[in-house]
Amino acid sequence: MSERKDGKPFSDEMLVAYMDGELSDAERDAVEALIGSDSEAAVRFEHLSRSALPFREAFAPLLAAAPAARLDAMLAAVPAVSAPKAAAGIGRRGLLAAAAACLVAGIALDRTVLGVARRLSGPDESAEWRAVVAEYLALYTADTLSAPAGDHAAQAAQLALVGEKLGMTLTPEAVALPGTDFRRAQVLQYDGMPLAQIVYLHPETGPMALCMILSNAGAAAPEAERRRGMNVVYWSSATHAFMLIGRAPVDELQALADHVRGVLPA
Amino acid sequence: MSVARLTFPVYTREKSEAPAVPALEGPSAGTEGVIASEEDIRQGLSRELARLWRYAVVLSRQRDVADDLVQATCVRALERAGQYEAGTRLDRWLFSILHSIWLNEVRSRRVREGQGFVDADRSLVFDGARQAETHLLAAQVLQQVQALPEAQRSAVFLAYVEGLSYREVAVVLDVPIGTVMSRLAAARAKLADGAGASGSARRTNGGQT
Repeated sequence: MSERKDGKPFSDEMLVAYMDGELSDAERDAVEALIGSDSEAAVRFEHLSRSALPFREAFAPLLAAAPAARLDAMLAAVPAVSAPKAAAGIGRRGLLAAAAACLVAGIALDRTVLGVARRLSGPDESAEWRAVVAEYLALYTADTLSAPAGDHAAQAAQLALVGEKLGMTLTPEAVALPGTDFRRAQVLQYDGMPLAQIVYLHPETGPMALCMILSNAGAAAPEAERRRGMNVVYWSSATHAFMLIGRAPVDELQALADHVRGVLPA
Repeated sequence: MSVARLTFPVYTREKSEAPAVPALEGPSAGTEGVIASEEDIRQGLSRELARLWRYAVVLSRQRDVADDLVQATCVRALERAGQYEAGTRLDRWLFSILHSIWLNEVRSRRVREGQGFVDADRSLVFDGARQAETHLLAAQVLQQVQALPEAQRSAVFLAYVEGLSYREVAVVLDVPIGTVMSRLAAARAKLADGAGASGSARRTNGGQT
């Protein structure tokens, strides 16, 4: 327990280590005596105690959010490293096998570090981006979208920019949803990839969004689901995944999705 | 409230008892032992994938980088299965491997390429939003910790979320124990300052400074 340079007989390190139960018995006694006798130390201790936050609870959801299926598949794909058992001396075949295994492992690592094998597209991946979009949109209210949408030229410019990121041609006409007001288009990011979000205001049910990401998971017909109290209709083309989400009835969303599929270039 | 009457809400860190990895009962023979432990490491990895991924998210603040980091950790751990000391905590060993890959390979590479880092705000739109509705305080804590500089963030996460001792944190981060202490103290001071804003509304300030 050395004194600090500024002459105070205590330091934050000491007080925090005390809170964390990391001090020896003698050190602990010393800190307790100090807190009891030195009001400055007591005030500092009390202040630092406010940082005793529920850390474990705060990070529990992140554990639950781990993409378990994808990680399992990834681990299973890592090849065994050991050379086959070489009981009596290592023969030429054993060496070759070991070399091959190292090569494979090396490639796996390169792919990892280079990020070439971006991700294993498991069945949960397509659901994951929809979950994220739903969480995001759940925060929207009609007030969020109160800003004017801009004139046709402004909308066209905005959509062109968004479309460029997604490799599609987007125009105000193509993305117009009958019975709703276009509000804005923007590019968000999902896992390092551009995510296009086109937001509409539905006169009765509030915010609605058409979202797109690049996806090579293959074409799929529309399906419906519910997320965060909203209806979702999602489908994909050979190059993109789409979702339409809002509080409108599912029938209406289905009809709008069919409309979008008819006008948007795949 | 006068200082003399202060009770000390001592935050005793719950010593986590994450399931201990059973000691490897590898045969004493060298080659056989290495081969046996690689399979054990693989099994251990499969149990710890979610925790490794979470630590990777804490470090990188990005899910896709976290995926890659966990994968690289698996590859490296299996390659080095022979270096794992039977009887020690496998999760700690895996944390150190992940941390060193992050520090020496992924992170430095991202800096070199000018990809920079994701700031806490944006990553939390994705990683924190899910829980925002369930527990507002928890979401705020997550946000505050994730906003800390990386060195403090990793120390706080390992010590207070994963329940590692100072000594274990020092091993994982590969720094002296004094460095762990100062990082934690700095982080706690910052978190306390943040909590003070809301805390002072609740507390009656005794006029002490």
